[in-house]
Amino acid sequence: MLLSRNIRLAVSSLRSSKWRSYLTMLGIIIGVASVVVTVSIGEGVKKQVVKQINELGPELITVRPGTTVQRDENGNIVGVNLLAGINPGSFSEKEWTAITETSGVQSTSPLNVVSGVPRYQDKTMPNSIVVGTTDNFAALIGQELDYGAFFSDNDKNENTVVIGKRVADELFGELAPIGKSIQVRGHTLIVKGIFKQFPSTPLVASNDYNSTIFMPYEVSKKVSSGQVQIYQILAKAKDEKTANSAAANIRSNLTKLHGGEEDFTVLKQDENLAVVSNMLNLLTAFIAGVAAISLLVGGIGVMNIMLVLVSERTREIGVRKAVGATNKQILTQFLVESSVLCVVGGLLGIILSVIANYLIRVFTDLQPVITIPIILISVGIALIVGIIFGTTPAVIAARKDPIESLRYE
Amino acid sequence: MPVIELKDVSKLYGFGDATTVALDEVNFSVEKGEFVAIMGPSGSGKSTLLNIIGLLDKPTHGTYDLGGRRVERMRANRRSKIRRDTIGFIFQSFNLLPRLNVLENVALPLAYKGKTQTKRLKQAGAILEEVGLADREYFMPKQLSGGQTQRVAIARALVNNPKIIIADEPTGNLDSASSLVIMELLDKIHRDGNTILMVTHNPELTKYASRVVFMHDGSIVADEMSKFGEIPGFIKRRMYSVKIKTQEDKLKGVSAVMKAIPDKNTKNDDSSNKKQKKPIKKYKRKNKAKK
Ligand SMILES: Nc1ncnc2c1ncn2[C@@H]1O[C@H](COP(=O)(O)OP(=O)(O)OP(=O)(O)O)[C@@H](O)[C@H]1O
Ligand SMILES: [Mg+2]
Repeated sequence: MLLSRNIRLAVSSLRSSKWRSYLTMLGIIIGVASVVVTVSIGEGVKKQVVKQINELGPELITVRPGTTVQRDENGNIVGVNLLAGINPGSFSEKEWTAITETSGVQSTSPLNVVSGVPRYQDKTMPNSIVVGTTDNFAALIGQELDYGAFFSDNDKNENTVVIGKRVADELFGELAPIGKSIQVRGHTLIVKGIFKQFPSTPLVASNDYNSTIFMPYEVSKKVSSGQVQIYQILAKAKDEKTANSAAANIRSNLTKLHGGEEDFTVLKQDENLAVVSNMLNLLTAFIAGVAAISLLVGGIGVMNIMLVLVSERTREIGVRKAVGATNKQILTQFLVESSVLCVVGGLLGIILSVIANYLIRVFTDLQPVITIPIILISVGIALIVGIIFGTTPAVIAARKDPIESLRYE
Repeated sequence: MPVIELKDVSKLYGFGDATTVALDEVNFSVEKGEFVAIMGPSGSGKSTLLNIIGLLDKPTHGTYDLGGRRVERMRANRRSKIRRDTIGFIFQSFNLLPRLNVLENVALPLAYKGKTQTKRLKQAGAILEEVGLADREYFMPKQLSGGQTQRVAIARALVNNPKIIIADEPTGNLDSASSLVIMELLDKIHRDGNTILMVTHNPELTKYASRVVFMHDGSIVADEMSKFGEIPGFIKRRMYSVKIKTQEDKLKGVSAVMKAIPDKNTKNDDSSNKKQKKPIKKYKRKNKAKK
């Protein structure tokens, strides 16, 4: 009852000097908007990645060189090593064979990097990735083609390639450059198929298959003069149930192969998910933290204005005290006022972030998602800012001497 | 039992050589239903006395019983609640809150009592009717004349059914016609059984009081019952010992002249009064303070 009266009072006070209120709120608005936008981008990316990983199926196991995760004795992931991706080394055919022969594994497919820049006529595409893989790759990751076909067992020694959509667009400048030829390290390869658009996964650049050129594994060995640099091996378990034991077997086999050293990472799909969302959470938290600094600055602005307001309304405070307001009631009045200022700022910030997110959706690949918890938390944060930065002015107001306040001009 | 009972109440400001004695061991009690007018030259301690009685200020020394309760050492919180429940204030400068309308201003003391909005506004409306401003409920303070504003302030002071009403120069900012309206209103409130303490510089207004007190240098130097419609003799003597020189002075009543009374005059009058000891006592006190 008293609270609703205080809120009405606060609103009328803030309305009595609209411009000042808006300007004060600006800091809170921008602060809340930037926090909400960063968190919702993070949330959106996570959602895209989750969707993509789920599409691959629960029986898919990914093996990569380097230690990306820390595990406890039971094999549960306890930490993620963000820097592992920088120089992870690579596998050779030994590991591939070992994985293929592991019990519970049905089929495997390696990705062998070919270091070379593809060229079409006089155009090159330096940001593309050239890999060699087996004919079961497309089926393994469940990806369909827009044009042509993936290479089969028959053309495993043929100089053919299947390319991602962006390669078709950037290198050839057309949708379906089937039959056209590219040059890699002096070898000529004919385009046999073009993949459908892979769901884009921002922040996970190593997996950007849209900019990748795939050739048969044997051909890739030939092109890179016999050198093998496998940066990822996909293994498919017989079914979802055997995925766990298959992954465990791969781990123990490879550890044995590497002389007891676990310098590689075996991830089931659900773990892959955990790793990615862990990384994203860290990143989002960091950026949101930076954005929150503007909230702090906004809070200081609120405190400043509240101090001005308290001194402007000294006489009012005197009158209220004379008619019987207790110190606590005065304190509450001003605390509610600063909180209302911040919460209204927070709500406007959310509206601003909805607009910003819409623009981001239109102009970028990102799909930011605003969830109810994000809204509740950001309004909560705004409220906390209002209370924290409103306390000092409110205490000053509450402690004012009634006589001096009544005399104040 | 008196509503208000002050015993040896002093109020000092400052330290050491800069000490001001605003109230000097004042003994003062007020019975229920009295209308006390307090007069005295500027700086004689009238406002200080009212502030202490109204629990806005604490005495430096002495005791204060309000309605049988010892209040002079109470904490701010309890003082606020006593103000809310038992005291109504009327100020010289009206002190309505500019952002609230007339009705909300009158209802303000009730808000701190935790009454519901509808009850508050109903009660405030009833009081407004009593002061003759029922048709101004939704006006903002700045849309009212001085006299109307003060009537709203009086309604606010009354809305809580206070034990005492404290008015420090309630007509100080008003012309004589509005002053008259306000005094008639206070008189009506007095006749309804309320206790009123009023400071005024206008001797004419003491006509309405049932008791007149004169202060000088922090002491009460005269204190007499007076009949309605009459100015007490000691006030008259002070009035006519000063000549009214200009037309303007005449219009203002004697208030401007009273303020200009030199100390000598009042002191001469003091000697004719019963309470002769006071000035000597004060002299001692000032010496004490200097030590
Ligand atoms: N906060 C204060 N600090 C120091 N001295 C004060 C303070 N308030 C009042 N005084 C002093 O106390 C004395 C009495 O002041 P008070 O306001 O009670 O006078 P008054 O009788 O109401 O005068 P006026 O008729 O001008 O309103 C004065 O000498 C004044 O200077
Ligand atoms: Mg005064």
